[in-house]
Amino acid sequence: MAYAYLFKYIIIGDTGVGKSCLLLQFTDKRFQPVHDLTIGVEFGARMITIDGKQIKLQIWDTAGQESFRSITRSYYRGAAGALLVYDITRRDTFNHLTTWLEDARQHSNSNMVIMLIGNKSDLESRREVKKEEGEAFAREHGLIFMETSAKTASNVEEAFINTAKEIYEKIQEGVFDINNEANGIKIGPQHAATNATHAGSQGGQQAGGGCC
Amino acid sequence: MSDKDDIETEVITEATSILENENCEPTKNFESVDQSAKSESKSEPVASTRKRPESKPSSDLETSDVLPVQTSQAAGKETVSKDVPQTGWGYWGSWGKSLLSSASATVATVGQGISNVIEKAETSLGIPSPSEISSEVQYATGETNAKENENSSPMSGPFGVFSTISTAVQSTGKSVISGGLDALEFIGKKTMDVIAEGDPGFKRTKGLMNRTSTLSQVLREAKEKEELWTTNEVTMETDKKTHYGLLFDEFQGLSHLEALEMLSRESEIKVKSILNSLSGEELETLKCELEQLKEAFSLAEFCEEEEEEKKGDEDFTKEITEVFSQLHVSSKPEKLTRARNTACEWIRTSLAKPLEEKEEGKKQLEAEEIEQINNNSIEDIHAFAIRSLAELTACSIELFHKTAALVLHGRKQEVTAIERSRALSQMTVVLCKELSSLSKEFTTCLTTAGVKEKADVLNPLITAVFLEASNSASYIQDAFQLLLPVLEISLIENKSELPEA
Repeated sequence: MAYAYLFKYIIIGDTGVGKSCLLLQFTDKRFQPVHDLTIGVEFGARMITIDGKQIKLQIWDTAGQESFRSITRSYYRGAAGALLVYDITRRDTFNHLTTWLEDARQHSNSNMVIMLIGNKSDLESRREVKKEEGEAFAREHGLIFMETSAKTASNVEEAFINTAKEIYEKIQEGVFDINNEANGIKIGPQHAATNATHAGSQGGQQAGGGCC
Repeated sequence: MSDKDDIETEVITEATSILENENCEPTKNFESVDQSAKSESKSEPVASTRKRPESKPSSDLETSDVLPVQTSQAAGKETVSKDVPQTGWGYWGSWGKSLLSSASATVATVGQGISNVIEKAETSLGIPSPSEISSEVQYATGETNAKENENSSPMSGPFGVFSTISTAVQSTGKSVISGGLDALEFIGKKTMDVIAEGDPGFKRTKGLMNRTSTLSQVLREAKEKEELWTTNEVTMETDKKTHYGLLFDEFQGLSHLEALEMLSRESEIKVKSILNSLSGEELETLKCELEQLKEAFSLAEFCEEEEEEKKGDEDFTKEITEVFSQLHVSSKPEKLTRARNTACEWIRTSLAKPLEEKEEGKKQLEAEEIEQINNNSIEDIHAFAIRSLAELTACSIELFHKTAALVLHGRKQEVTAIERSRALSQMTVVLCKELSSLSKEFTTCLTTAGVKEKADVLNPLITAVFLEASNSASYIQDAFQLLLPVLEISLIENKSELPEA
């Protein structure tokens, strides 16, 4: 229940690449082959642990359809992390990455951590995009990269957690201003509470209600 | 320091004086002082932070027809704290009524007016920010809390400041059970008094209130306070079950609300810039059309049909589905109706118990079922009621959010924005009505199950259910208002191919 930090994530990418399936696998540990088209945005949340700290991920799973694009852009704001997903069996979804990336960069904060995900890695026989291509794209644009399968759950945990680790590191480095909610990070109530009990173990952060 | 003391004494004095107004015997007065002091210390300070949020600072709201009342209410501290019993009572009373008995009729007008009054009153009175109220209450009750912690009931309802009031309600000796409405009237009115009087340093806090906070902010803060509370107190699982804010978040209500706010804000900006780009006749026509749209948002069916006798369960499903279909968006309110039917089913089985008991010797299975129901303590009922209210509200807000997304998404429309607005306002009415009737049924369950309970155990639970129901209705109405800019932009875009901003 209580968490030290809350990170807001968005999942973006073409329709049908498996965004909602990735989320479902991550939050519910199950796979649903047939999924309704997402309207606008759906939500999921899960607690993870990084560095002994409870972190709550609040995930905004956006609609991939082109026609929803102008709406989903509205949701980008205030995300700390983004999962940019393409389908390794459909080259066009890979080709559209640049547009997605521009969109994401334009409508969210510049420090947002972006994880590039080549999904459906279980469908090796139908692969159209080589892993190396994904890696190259990620390197070129400063993204983290991973191939996943929402069906077999391969790398799904890792994708979400590694993104969180990266964000967490950025917090430690002081890149993120954690007191600015526009960065998609919030300090949990527990943090403020534990400050009182184990005084000063995590000095410097006294968020919470009080002063404003 | 002494400020804090003042709060308590003032509250208590106030409660007493009210009792005198109500012509209670003097002996009862003393009892009430006792009780209110006690229950205050038991109360959970956290939940008191969730005040009804002020509505968006849009100017059109302020010109709504209740303006005279607002100004008299907002005129000054003295007016509110002293004169209200005479002048304001009726008004607040009608608030309670509008939300609980005939949410339908008054939703848009009175509902809006209220938020205005509150907003006005808040800003002019300098009511402390939620966090401040919470810390003050915490401070004020801190000492006694520590002493009484062990004995304090884990079930104390989530309504810190209000608990003072509810005890006052109890001690009037009035039947809160049959007169749940009275309780709400009382709360509405007394809250103003308590808050106003409980903030001696109001000038200091005045500045804080000027920050306009959004609905989701208010709810989020409430949830965080509750989270903080539950972590701090290492409370039992059961305790968490009654925190409306936490539950509302669990049902993703907060996320949907936040998303809806984003769409609303963005649409608002677009509308403004389009209006700025127009001039002359074009501008006038558009303004006129937008005005009509606004009307649809403010005149939610003012036909005071006296509550028809409880309608069948299917009726709500039918009604909401029908109204929703008028929106012509490609989605269905299934999640909402499912949640609502689950709640109704639960209530039915819960209430069916006494009847079934009479016709003894049913099937074994049923008997077991009854057995189980028998075990529904008033705490269980309360927890389920709060949970259901939170779930239904979350589903309603999700529905509004999805509608906003679909309205913005659809290019071709078979219905005009105005028709949609009317359907949406109808929907708001239906939803609020349903919440009100559900809360009544829940309290019936509570009274049935709690016949043997003492009033000071049962009444706070009942008050809590009514309170959260009325809060829920407010959230839904506010969420509904967020749809206005969305429909405005849809109207504009549908009308012509205007250059996008």
